[in-house]
Order: sequence, then structure tokens, then C-alpha cells
Amino acid sequence: MQSSDVISINIWQVIISLLNLLILFLILKKFLYKPVKNILAQRQQMVDENFEKAKKAEEDALSAKASYEEKLAGAKAEADEILKKANKRAERKSDKIVSGAKAKADDIIRQAQNDARLEKQKAQSEIKHEITEVSTMISEKILEREIKPADHRDFINSFIEKIGENDD
Amino acid sequence: MKSEERSFRIVDALLLLMMIIPFLCGIALHVMFKPSSDDIEIAGALIFFTIKMPFQDLPITESQVNSWLVIIAVFFLCLFLTHGLSATKPTRRQHLAEMAIELAENLVHSNMGDYFSGFVPFVAAIMVLSVFSSLLTLIGLYPPTSDFNVVAGWALLVFILITYYKMKCGPVHYLKSFGDPVPFLAPLNIISEVATPISMAFRHYGNVLSGSVISVLVAAGLQGLTKLALGRIEGFIGEFPFFQIGIPAILSIYFDLFSGCLQAFIFAMLTMLYIATGFPEDDYKEKMKKKKMKLQKEN
Repeated sequence: MQSSDVISINIWQVIISLLNLLILFLILKKFLYKPVKNILAQRQQMVDENFEKAKKAEEDALSAKASYEEKLAGAKAEADEILKKANKRAERKSDKIVSGAKAKADDIIRQAQNDARLEKQKAQSEIKHEITEVSTMISEKILEREIKPADHRDFINSFIEKIGENDD
Repeated sequence: MKSEERSFRIVDALLLLMMIIPFLCGIALHVMFKPSSDDIEIAGALIFFTIKMPFQDLPITESQVNSWLVIIAVFFLCLFLTHGLSATKPTRRQHLAEMAIELAENLVHSNMGDYFSGFVPFVAAIMVLSVFSSLLTLIGLYPPTSDFNVVAGWALLVFILITYYKMKCGPVHYLKSFGDPVPFLAPLNIISEVATPISMAFRHYGNVLSGSVISVLVAAGLQGLTKLALGRIEGFIGEFPFFQIGIPAILSIYFDLFSGCLQAFIFAMLTMLYIATGFPEDDYKEKMKKKKMKLQKEN
């Protein structure tokens, strides 16, 4: 078997080698570069889509948050108003109750005073009566004789009335 | 699901096998046709057969066959790397493929600019073909890059591309560029233009061939040295080439691995730089602008 020379130039071999390089270029382009590039583009697209989705979700969340905050503020104001109203109503009610109670108490006190006065008068007249009787009996014993109660009562009554006046 | 996985595995194994088979075939051919000889021999590629052609007969040699083997192996490597691509769940080999492409893209973009982004597969093809061809020496095959014709073919293609991009502004602009900066330097410019592909081809070819030549010489020298040192001892010790253990391997790391990859890188680099610098980008843009204006005026 023969060997070629170390340095030999053959046009056909040069052309074959040129075509070899071209063929390898096409192979690499078709079977490696294009598929991988496609996959990379797909991945890029997916990433972009996800990014877009995330952005949209964030926007949604922000808008929802804003609306919630607005609603919350409204609810607070409403609650404040309700509280104020309830306070006012309670105050009015309590005022009414207190004033009613006061009136009632005044009534009771007045009645009690009245009762006391009546009682006092009653007691006074009773005491007067009793004293009259007692004194009549005492005078009867002292005088050892019958006195006419009718004559005497007038006299004692007038006396006791004087005492009562001094008492007061 | 499971049967799908199994078929996926089977295809994988087949692709890997098809990747390796070309190299095994190359080794088989080499072993079958290489005449064995103990002499120091620095020869070109083995000629398998010759085809009658006009101008010159075409001998089909080891360099052609090995180039084809490399192309077949790379083809199946591509299929293997892109087998089961997915956008969501990238496998390890997909990462590898993406990394390689990104690397090539970065290289092309940083050296040529965005206009030449279509050159990524071409530059990758130059690199891959050159590296794989040079590394064939590692499995004992004849590296096609140490055949001048192979590298000259690539350089010729690069030269055609350079000229094509220089011609983008029209042939008049191309011819005028030779009179730059002073018209009487035109002959020198023409010589440097023609020298570009020749120097590229010879640089690559020379480096790889010199590596193999030096490796052969050193191996032979070491054999002689062993004979000189231990030859007088009778028997096994006298005949066994002790000095040939290890030292050629270290040389091989430089001449085959490092130099092969470096030359591939240099060749790709020069390709990119020559094409990018030869292309008159500003003039071309101006021309396109004028063309656009004209079209707008006509409309």
C-alpha cells in the first residue's frame, strides 16, 4: 500500500475537504444549533409568559388591596358613626331614666314628708287625748272626788294646747 | 411510560454506538492497510485507491476517510445531544449542548459583532472539525489536519467568504480597497490578500505535522538511547525500550492535545477576524441607507 507525500497538493482533495467543512456546517446548523435555539426561544417565551402572569397577579393583588383598604376605611367610619349614635341614644336614655328617677324620688320624699307630718299630727292629737285622760284621772285621785269630766276636759285641753305650742 | 423510557434509552445507546463505530472502523482500516515496518518513517496519508479525474487523479487517502469518519461521528454526537430536548426539564446533555452553543455565540459576537450572528454554526464547524481531526492521533489514526490539502480546503472556503463579504459594497469598492492607503501599494495588498489563506492553511498543517514528526523522531531517538545504554545486556532487558515508556506520552499531551486544540482555536479566530475586518460595515450601511432612500423616493 502506497502513501502520499508529506507535502502534496491535489485540487480534488482540496475541494473534497472544502465540501466536508460545508457539510459539517450544515449538520451542526440543522441538528444542533437550530433545535437548541428553538428550545432556548421556547424557554424564553415561557419565562416571559410567567413574568407577565406574575406582573398581572401583582397588579390584581395591589388593586384588591386598595379596594379592601378603601372598604375598611368606610367600615371604620360607619362603625364610628354607629357608635356615636348609640352613645347619644344611651345618653339620652340615661338622662331620661335619671330625671324620671329623680322625679320619682322627689315624689317619694314628698309623700314621706307628708306621711310623717300626718303621723306627727295624729300622734300629737293622740298624746293630747291621752294626757287629758291621764290628767283627768290624776286630778280625780288628787281631789278624791268626782269631777265632771266635761267641765274639766275643757280646762285641761286649753292647758295642753298651751304646752304643745311651747313645745313647737 | 416505562416502555417509552426504555425506547429512549435504546435510541440513546444506538446513537452512542454510532458515534464510536466510525472510530473503530478507522482503526480497523488503519491496522489492515498500514504496512508494518520498524524503520523511522515520515510519510503522508495512506492511499486506499485512486479515482481517474480530469486535471489530476484523485487518490482517496486516509485523510479523506478520517474526515468523513469525524463528520459521521459529529453528526451522531449532535443527534445524541439534541435527543430528548425539552424546554422545561433540561437533561445534563442538554445543558452541555446549550453551554457549547452559548460559548460559540459569545465568541462570535465578541469577535465579529452582531451582524455576523449567522456565523455561529460555521465557526463551531471549523473548531469541531479541526479539534476532532487533530485529536484522532490520540487513538492512533492519521490526523487529516496534517494533510495540507484538507486544511487548504478550509482556508479556501474562508478566503471565498472573506472575498464575498468584501464584495458586498460592489466590485468597484472591492478593487478600490487594494489602493488603500496609497495606490502604489496595490501589489503588496494583493500579495497579502492571497497570502491570507495560504498562511492559514500552512500554519495549521505545519503545526500538526511538525508535532507528529517530532513525536516520531523523539520516539526513535529514545529507542536508540535505550539500545545504547542497555543494549549490551543480553536477553529481555537489552531489547526492551525502557526510555520509550512515559516520555512520548508527555510530548503527546503537548503536540496532540494542546497544539491540536490551540491550532483549531487559532484557525477559527483568524477566520472570524479576517471576515469581520474585511467587511466594510460602515460603507455597507451607508449603501443600504441610500438604497432605502431611493426606494422611498420611487414610491
